[in-house]
Amino acid sequence: MKFLRHLAAVVLVVAVIVGLGVLWAHTSGGAGPRPAPSPEALLRLEQIKEQIKTGVIRVRSDNGFQLADTGNLIRTCEIEAVLAVAVITVSVVRRRRHRTRRTTARA
Amino acid sequence: MRGAAMRRHCWPMNAGPATPAADSPVTASRRRILARTRLDFWLDALLLVAYTLAYSLGFTGIATHEWLGIGLGVVLLVHLTLHWDWVIRTTRKLLRRGGRERFVWLVNLLLLLSMTLCIASGILISEVALPELGITPAAGSFWRQMHDTTATLTLILVPIHAALDWRWVVGVARRFAAWRPGRSR
Repeated sequence: MKFLRHLAAVVLVVAVIVGLGVLWAHTSGGAGPRPAPSPEALLRLEQIKEQIKTGVIRVRSDNGFQLADTGNLIRTCEIEAVLAVAVITVSVVRRRRHRTRRTTARA
Repeated sequence: MRGAAMRRHCWPMNAGPATPAADSPVTASRRRILARTRLDFWLDALLLVAYTLAYSLGFTGIATHEWLGIGLGVVLLVHLTLHWDWVIRTTRKLLRRGGRERFVWLVNLLLLLSMTLCIASGILISEVALPELGITPAAGSFWRQMHDTTATLTLILVPIHAALDWRWVVGVARRFAAWRPGRSR
């Protein structure tokens, strides 16, 4: 029962955030549908489709993991690791300083 | 989102012997807390791994990226629900608390905003997942830009959010490592 009550509160908060986002989109004029493509763009699209059919352009299947493309995943992990290490270092340094200050005050 | 009170829930893995006395209210309570700590730990780990994968669009491909994003939304709701007590408690005591608690609260608030907007905008610009369900979203460039910006912001905030509770993470991981199923429950 408590879980459901909390879930309802969370859903409400999320709905408010999304609502504010939609409001922001409306006020900035970006909430409308995508504009129709220009005739030039449609022509280019047809050309690309033709090139895919004839094999000039090779299309990679995009429906699953690209295990060969781990560079992307490694970069994400690196960014996260660097930030986490920075936060942990700051936390350790602050804690040590705090401890030293307390020990000095006691002495 | 874990506060000091949540960290107190981190009981030793061998709390509660597997004897008839295990049914006592104290042991039952310990077991509940232990189960909750486990749930928190694995759910947080799942969120971190899922977000890391979802952000790596070149690795996952668009379809996996979108389904992962939708799944992340559901797990995020559960994560927030499980820590709602902390949210309320910390928000109420915000003025009385020290600088660190305020900083944690601010990081968590920013993360909530950016992740919610990231997932919502991702759903609105979906190219595979929603059309597969028969829904054709027609969001403009605003939402695309919003998705890119909030995803980058979330990438910065997620490791900060996780690292701010690194003592809790290390403590629970150590206890998991020391835990033997046959020895205790």
